[in-house]
Amino acid sequence: MTRRLREFILEGVLIALCLVLAWRAPGFLSADNLLNVLHNVSMQGVIAFGMTMVIIAGEIDLSVGSMIAFAGCLTAWITGRLSAAPHGWPMPRAILLAILASLLAGVAIGSISGMLRVRFRVPTFISTLAWLTVLRGAAGLITNGFPLTPFPDWYNFIGAGHVWKVPFPAILFLAVFLLIQFIMNYTTFGRSIYAVGGNAEAARLSGIHVPRVKIGVMAIVSALAVIAGVMQSSQNMSGSDRSGMGWELDVIAAVIIGGTNLMGGSGRVWGTLIGVIFLGVLVNGMTLLNISEYWQMVVRGVLILMAVLMNVSPPERA
Amino acid sequence: MQASLETFRIRKEFPGTVALEDVSLRFEGGRVVALLGKNGAGKSTLVKILAGTLQPTSGQIAINGRPVKLKSAGDAFRHGIATVYQELSVIPELSAAENILLGRMPGKRGWARVMLDWPAARRRAREILAEMGVDLDVHQKVRRFGVAQQQIIEIAKAMSFNPSVLMLDEPTSALARHETEMLFRVVRRLARSGVAVIYITHRLHELAQIADAVTVLRDGHHVGTANFAETSADSIVRMIFGSVVQRQRPQALQPSPEPLLQVRGLCRAEKFHDIDFTVHRGEILGIAGMLGSGRTELLRAIFGADPFDGGRIILGGRILKGTSVRGMKRLGAALIPENRKEQSLVPNLSVRANLCLASLDAIGWNGLISVRRENLVARHFVQRLDIQLANLRLPVHSLSGGNQQKVAVGKWLNTQPRVMLFDEPTRGIDLQAKQQIFQIMWDLSRDGIGSVFVSSELEELLEVCHRILIMRSGAIIGEVRPEDISVEDLVVRCMGESAGARSEP
Repeated sequence: MTRRLREFILEGVLIALCLVLAWRAPGFLSADNLLNVLHNVSMQGVIAFGMTMVIIAGEIDLSVGSMIAFAGCLTAWITGRLSAAPHGWPMPRAILLAILASLLAGVAIGSISGMLRVRFRVPTFISTLAWLTVLRGAAGLITNGFPLTPFPDWYNFIGAGHVWKVPFPAILFLAVFLLIQFIMNYTTFGRSIYAVGGNAEAARLSGIHVPRVKIGVMAIVSALAVIAGVMQSSQNMSGSDRSGMGWELDVIAAVIIGGTNLMGGSGRVWGTLIGVIFLGVLVNGMTLLNISEYWQMVVRGVLILMAVLMNVSPPERA
Repeated sequence: MQASLETFRIRKEFPGTVALEDVSLRFEGGRVVALLGKNGAGKSTLVKILAGTLQPTSGQIAINGRPVKLKSAGDAFRHGIATVYQELSVIPELSAAENILLGRMPGKRGWARVMLDWPAARRRAREILAEMGVDLDVHQKVRRFGVAQQQIIEIAKAMSFNPSVLMLDEPTSALARHETEMLFRVVRRLARSGVAVIYITHRLHELAQIADAVTVLRDGHHVGTANFAETSADSIVRMIFGSVVQRQRPQALQPSPEPLLQVRGLCRAEKFHDIDFTVHRGEILGIAGMLGSGRTELLRAIFGADPFDGGRIILGGRILKGTSVRGMKRLGAALIPENRKEQSLVPNLSVRANLCLASLDAIGWNGLISVRRENLVARHFVQRLDIQLANLRLPVHSLSGGNQQKVAVGKWLNTQPRVMLFDEPTRGIDLQAKQQIFQIMWDLSRDGIGSVFVSSELEELLEVCHRILIMRSGAIIGEVRPEDISVEDLVVRCMGESAGARSEP
């Protein structure tokens, strides 16, 4: 298969899938349904763009699912504390501060994983595996096992509002896509990420600050996970320690399907966008076709394997 | 019976080149024959053919007078040819006994044969080692042994097949002196027991201790074979290098007396010590030394890629007691490392991105990359360095070795360098690309940029440099001008005096 064909095969498959669904699945092609697909994938999608950076840099983050719960709970808890009567802050100010504090916590946690990686050579697979349980536990400690519901009605806009007919989360999703796409293609930081993931030693000997890059990507993906957590808490109008269960694997799956190499060094943000939408369309379509959830899981798993096989070039001959 | 291995008129073609041509050799049991030659002379091709991993284009191989076909590594083993490669293939977490008998561990008798018979295994491993005159604790995990002992375990593994021919491919490249001696004792003992040993090495000074005869390949041809006792260091060197045609650097190109880079008393434990030298404006300073002389470590320490323990570096008006890559780059230093694939290029990135990798700040503005400027810079250097490519966006690994090396050099030219450190820049590239790399150094010299040029191809140093430092065992032991010395003398000085004298083990 030629390189060019390979590059756009996922787009081709996505279009084919959409055509089949438009033909067979009742209601698939309506504007409402398509916007709904975008809404459904938006939270995982926001994280997936950060995960793309992390994987291209040759690292991984398994803690993003737990980070969603942690960030949602932390935001809810701080909001509740600050706005509590009798000397409570006004709601908008309390929520703004709560979100900023959660972002800060997320950035700090991601940076710690990055620092453990560059200082003590702890693989991010391990450190973020630790965060996966720590943050899930911390979320439970914050909520005591019961969802926190301090939010006012307007807070629902972030995770469920619409601008004209477009879901606000979908707008956030596309905005994050544009931002990360810009960073990866038009900034020296983005270029450094590719270089560090492709050959860390060559990057170091070219004068690229490798620790800064590794810590940077870990901080960014954590911050995006916090944003997704805020979106999730807004959609549910509560901070729950059960949200985002297993999302890390869905997010990584979308990135891999999008053609990013798990070994680092290559991948495209655009590919991740397609990968995320592809998985969303697939789930939506299969649901419309009344395919059982168990079958959906099987199909997704097979797709991940096929996507990876397509991206593997045949072994080089000595 | 004395074993023998013969080749008749072996020829091996690769696309575009002939690696071996009309090579007829004879190796006999009881003797150690050193196989010598420059990089690219055809040694490793011959080894691979004898080890069964490459097929000759034409020609025959005979063992004990009977022609054989070696279609795979397994064939070679069955015919009694064992090979020990430079890179160790022992499994560190297994014991010495398990490594020696890998895949052939004895089982217990009868119905219990799925279980390992440990006492038998250890006995067998100890026997093999005893035949080699070595006493090791075969219970011990291999990672606990030193490199030399691991090397010996590797040889024991080969010997457990009772081979009649043993090929050793640069076995001492990672060994210290006393370890080398231990290895040599083992090899000599094996030879005495009737094994034909083929010993590939770059270290000519080892020959006196180990080789009964030398066989030299040059440009794929068998140049000659001689008994070691009847030859001299000079004639061996002449066989290896041939009559060297030296092209000279342009005469007009003279360095100015202004110092650019000064190195004073630089030390790093076990790597190099008390290194003093100065690179002047526009000067090309060669460092001649064999593999393991500390030359690579020296360049890396100057550039900040590795730390150093003592001494100072003076560059750009700053006196440095320690260096970092980023700091040295700012002061105008550049390193072209010896291994471009692993240390210099990001293989999957485009030629354009690789050419701009060291100067991201220069093509960017506040962290943003200007694609226009990036294209401009990349196109400029592609043209200036004559890099042959179809498209700037192709990944750099798709280029030929020579063109890759030009990218590795070119990426530093956009950083306004004062001093460029070249570590083996001509390894594995064709003649034309070599000449182009030299031309780049001369052009840099004309612009007042200094170069430090490390190479094991000593005739290149004579061709290119203004001045040559001779490095041996981590120290600079002399300085010569290329017009005052011949390649043969330079090689002899790099190897040390021991090369000519024969000492009985």
